[in-house]
Amino acid sequence: MPGARLARWAAAVPMAGLALATIYPLVFTANVAMKTRRDYILDRFSPAGSLRWDNLAEAWTGAGMARYFVNSFVVVACAVALLLLLGSMAGFALARLRFRGSSVIFLGCLAGLFIPFQVIMVPLTRVMADSGLIDTYPGLILAYVAQYLPFTVFLMTSHYRTIPAEIVDAARIDGNTVYGVYRRIMLPLGVPALLSVGILDALFCWNDVLIALLMMPSPEHRTLMIGVNALRGQYSDDIPTFASGVLIAAVPVLMIYLFLQRQITDGVTAGSTKG
Amino acid sequence: MRIAGPSIRQARAERLAPYVLVAPAVLIIVALRLWPLALGVNFSFTGDGELNGTPVGPANYLELTGDPLFRIALRNVGLLVLLLPLAVAIPGLLATFIYLRVPGHRVYRSVYFFPAVLSPVIVGAIFNLMLGYDGPLNSLLGAMGAGPVDWLGDPGIAMFTVVGVHVWATFGMALVVFLAGFSTLDASLLDAARVDGASLGRTIWHVIIPSLTRTIQFVFVTTMIGMLTSMFGLLFVMTSGGPEGSTYLPEYYIWHQQGQMNRPALASAASTVLFVVMLVVGLLQITLLRRAGRQD
Repeated sequence: MPGARLARWAAAVPMAGLALATIYPLVFTANVAMKTRRDYILDRFSPAGSLRWDNLAEAWTGAGMARYFVNSFVVVACAVALLLLLGSMAGFALARLRFRGSSVIFLGCLAGLFIPFQVIMVPLTRVMADSGLIDTYPGLILAYVAQYLPFTVFLMTSHYRTIPAEIVDAARIDGNTVYGVYRRIMLPLGVPALLSVGILDALFCWNDVLIALLMMPSPEHRTLMIGVNALRGQYSDDIPTFASGVLIAAVPVLMIYLFLQRQITDGVTAGSTKG
Repeated sequence: MRIAGPSIRQARAERLAPYVLVAPAVLIIVALRLWPLALGVNFSFTGDGELNGTPVGPANYLELTGDPLFRIALRNVGLLVLLLPLAVAIPGLLATFIYLRVPGHRVYRSVYFFPAVLSPVIVGAIFNLMLGYDGPLNSLLGAMGAGPVDWLGDPGIAMFTVVGVHVWATFGMALVVFLAGFSTLDASLLDAARVDGASLGRTIWHVIIPSLTRTIQFVFVTTMIGMLTSMFGLLFVMTSGGPEGSTYLPEYYIWHQQGQMNRPALASAASTVLFVVMLVVGLLQITLLRRAGRQD
């Protein structure tokens, strides 16, 4: 490939520009969050002199972000725990046990994967309302589990298929029941996949707007993302506090990304290469 | 018999074990995903308000065809389909350059992917600041001598703005999938192209694209689904469907009819249309790409 060297350097310039365009909006928001209202109105671009915690404190306590944060945390933790438990149980059975109807069940899970939430949101809301689950924590948790279970089952099944069947046979000969094999062998062997899919499930649930909006209408049940949106009206004339609220909601996710980047991208690509 | 008793029971428990393991997942998926799909289609043929629950035939679908907002929503779907090749080509090209080890390639993968982990609400809120009348983007334009643009207030521009922000937030996702595809690429083909003295453009066209047909197909379908189903957060935060309804998409329309206008049956009809649109677009893309792949 003659000219490839030149092309590589020519490409580096727009790529660096694009990297800057990817980072800058967040840097700008963080900088605004550290300004006083007066500074922001006078000059929104100059670097904030020092860290200001009072905007963050105002968003955290004054705007009730603390409450929303806890709501989100509880719901996401419960939903992910359930997703991993049910997903690994079903994934193990579908990948490594022979039983009548297993292929139909696997196809049913795949079909669930291809139904977008928008298509079922009206009837699902009604089903939830009829069961008295609207505006309750179990209702939102169940909605998240239903939304991401097909994906979780699918990834766990393909992970367990990579584990040799002989391991299961050996454990059976050693006198384990099927449940024993699941608990003592499959659960520990599934940890890498559980970590990847768990992080992705957690991100999806943490970042969701639509499901939370439909399932938790009361203001005191707001999740963090709905809370951030509510800040807009509340602080329309106090942009630095608004930016602080946005930052509070973004930081946990950015931390997770910094530390667990590999697991996140592995999870995203697993669906594409194993499909 | 007393000795055999427990072992028979045990054997039965063992036989049932697979069903016990899959039962909770199956129950949830059937009750809260598959069943609502059937329920929704059925529901779309009933009335709203006073006619609640009574069959009305295709009345909701007829009303949809006459609703200007729904027409805008469908027109915007058409716009997304037109912009789709761009939304696939950008990450594809960037992935190619990262694969060919552009200076700094190690960093770009991480940097480009990071907006993909942010919530649409956060992305929308950040861009509300960025796109303000005297925000950074207009200041940049001003420095280059161009006038300020009303990014979210001009009905002719707003939809492009929202799609642009969506692409900003999600191209890293497709990029990572492309890179995974590249890792399966046969390096000897590239070496052969290099030995034959093929140009970069020819290498991309004759070696990379044919080898990555499956990945390209996957990215096309997932990007389209993403555009049709994950822009709600951005629309909700950035435009609320405005100005003048110009940024409606079917998903926003469904939410608006169901929650705001109290027209769940009409919303169900719109959901069914969205599902059909997605099926058709998805199948069409797969057949087109299959055919293109076969010609090579």
